Amino acid sequence: MRLSLLLAAAAMAGTSMLIPQVQAEDQVNLTWQMWGDEADTALWQSLADLVTEEYPNIKVTANISGWTDYWTRLPVLASSGQIADIVAMQSMRMPSFYGVLEPLDSYIAADNFDKTAFESSIMAGLSHDGVQYALPYDVGPWLVYYNRDRFAEAGIAEPALDWTFDDFKAAADKLTGGDKFGYAVQAFDFIAQPIALGAEYFNADNQFDLTNDGYVDAVSKIADLVTVDKASPVFTSGTGAISGSSRFASGNAAMYIDGPWVLLQTKDSVKFKMGVAPLPRGAGESRFITAGSGWGVSAASQHKEEAFKALKVLTGPKAAQILATAGRALPGRLAEQSYWYDVAAKDVSGTHETLEYMFKHSTPFRLNENWNEFENLLTQYMPLALTGDASTKDTLANIQSQLP
Amino acid sequence: MTTLEEAAIPTGRTVARGRNRLGRREGRTALFFLLPGLIGMVLFLLVPIIASVVLSFTNWKLLGKPAFVGWANYTRLFTADPQFWPVLRNTLFFTAEYLVLNIVISLGLAVWISSLRRGQRWFRVVFFLPTFTPGIAVAIVWMLIFAPDGLFDSILRSLPIAMPNMLADQTLAMQAVIIVSLWAGVGYNTVLFNAALDMVPANYLEAARIDGATAWDRFWKIRLPLISPTLFFGTVMTAITSLQVFDQIYVMTRGGPGNATSTLGYAIYQRGFQNFQMGYASAIAWVMFAMIMALTALQFWLQRKWVHYDN
Repeated sequence: MRLSLLLAAAAMAGTSMLIPQVQAEDQVNLTWQMWGDEADTALWQSLADLVTEEYPNIKVTANISGWTDYWTRLPVLASSGQIADIVAMQSMRMPSFYGVLEPLDSYIAADNFDKTAFESSIMAGLSHDGVQYALPYDVGPWLVYYNRDRFAEAGIAEPALDWTFDDFKAAADKLTGGDKFGYAVQAFDFIAQPIALGAEYFNADNQFDLTNDGYVDAVSKIADLVTVDKASPVFTSGTGAISGSSRFASGNAAMYIDGPWVLLQTKDSVKFKMGVAPLPRGAGESRFITAGSGWGVSAASQHKEEAFKALKVLTGPKAAQILATAGRALPGRLAEQSYWYDVAAKDVSGTHETLEYMFKHSTPFRLNENWNEFENLLTQYMPLALTGDASTKDTLANIQSQLP
Repeated sequence: MTTLEEAAIPTGRTVARGRNRLGRREGRTALFFLLPGLIGMVLFLLVPIIASVVLSFTNWKLLGKPAFVGWANYTRLFTADPQFWPVLRNTLFFTAEYLVLNIVISLGLAVWISSLRRGQRWFRVVFFLPTFTPGIAVAIVWMLIFAPDGLFDSILRSLPIAMPNMLADQTLAMQAVIIVSLWAGVGYNTVLFNAALDMVPANYLEAARIDGATAWDRFWKIRLPLISPTLFFGTVMTAITSLQVFDQIYVMTRGGPGNATSTLGYAIYQRGFQNFQMGYASAIAWVMFAMIMALTALQFWLQRKWVHYDN
């Protein structure tokens, strides 16, 4: 670690020697670390170019790594002092990583930056303890993707915006038959769906309370679709986070739950008409959690002022328009969301109404610093409840016992 | 005499001193030539090993400053962590079953190949292929085969055999991991044992045959004892790698369902890189190290009973 610090220091000394010491308009090279696959590289580069267009003295270089690797590398880069100036952050990981980011409140105040141009739930998602640490480029609630052809075949009315879990269950049952399933459950469903049903996995102190009656009941309802109704296949611990999407795309399952961030790729990979609907509600009002990602300024950056300037461009209207039109992101900026609706999602039924309804009924996504552990344990242990090896209550108690 | 002796002593000393000086100079040259390797070893082996010992006594979370916590990580591991004993049990279970099956199957294949009159080389290549196929890629393909409603399930259904899905069942999941590990790991030992079998002098076997020894006797009493050093090497290496098993589990089961396939190697990854408890992960790593050391030492001690060095 000490060696990498030395190397980093040497590299920094090297670059600072290369930069001519000009007074006001120093040429500044910023690094930007981001996840994504190779297909997206050009897209991110076009955003980086926008920064140079706006501020000719700032050059941003994107550094792309795969999604999973990104989260393994981030703490390593941060602790060895090699973190980039602009750092990508996802709302669900903010409680673990806010420490590597610079609080943006003073920059926002000094700049008279308009925070209300962004969707409010994701601005909250990218803050921690009321302090803003990143600005969003995308946002979205978990919603139900459904196969319209299968709904029509089975003679079921398409989901209403405020459909209930009973409606959802009835549809799933009716759509199940032969080797086809009405629904394909994934691990995250046990987070998004209980919230929609009105349950909580936290106690009042933001600590895990997985064995409270409300949460156990909500999780059992979903698990019963697998164990009792056989309307959904089990998922395995190895593929619990992704198995639903492939079953949905192949036509094997008629419904599954995911975010709008996969809409474009899902739309391109299915051979049927597809629709989206809000998550079904319980007895009470609908309520939905949203997640999204954005970029922040590294707390270790030598060029924080410039990085914030770059950040404004990267999350600005023009960048949002590019990402929305390409279908890469439903923008966190409200005004530019129409590009996504009109271009990327134009063939998918119900997108605009569904998302508008869901944003209106969004509820804060409660997280704490052990969130990743919780998600991993759900994927690892829920198959026990889905195969009937253990009761839902015992499975949740088991997970709870492993959380601090 | 005395004068001669007196005269001889100083001469002897000068020679010794000269040799010393020469030795020192040669030593310095040797050190110089060894330096590239030595620096590499110190930097990439010794420093990380020492660092991980130090880390195992801290609560380092990757981000932020580590604090010294004494033996707390080890106490938690052995007394408080409900997952440690199941994980240890899984690791030993995997090692025992995999080791026995691997040695039996690879020895069987090696004997079979060496009995062939034609195509020996071809079979050696075929069985060795999985060894240089990337483990992660192998595990992904097998994961798809064993996935619910995957190839394996549909074959069973058409037979028809009623069996729960391999990866979703608590008992079968470990068997799936062992099958994949065997597929990937048997080839290396097969080629190793096959080469050893080919080295057994033909005249021994010839003499035994003339004396009326059956094929069964020739195998147990001549060939097996003669290849026992290779067999021992294969066993020790296979035991060490199977105690460290990680790739297959990471791809196929992520330690689940429940903790059915959670092993020490996977637990280290999970604690260190998913939960960011680097100190705790280092403590587990040291327990794993101690266990591998102890088991290897045990094997070396046991080898006196069954390994024959022919010299």
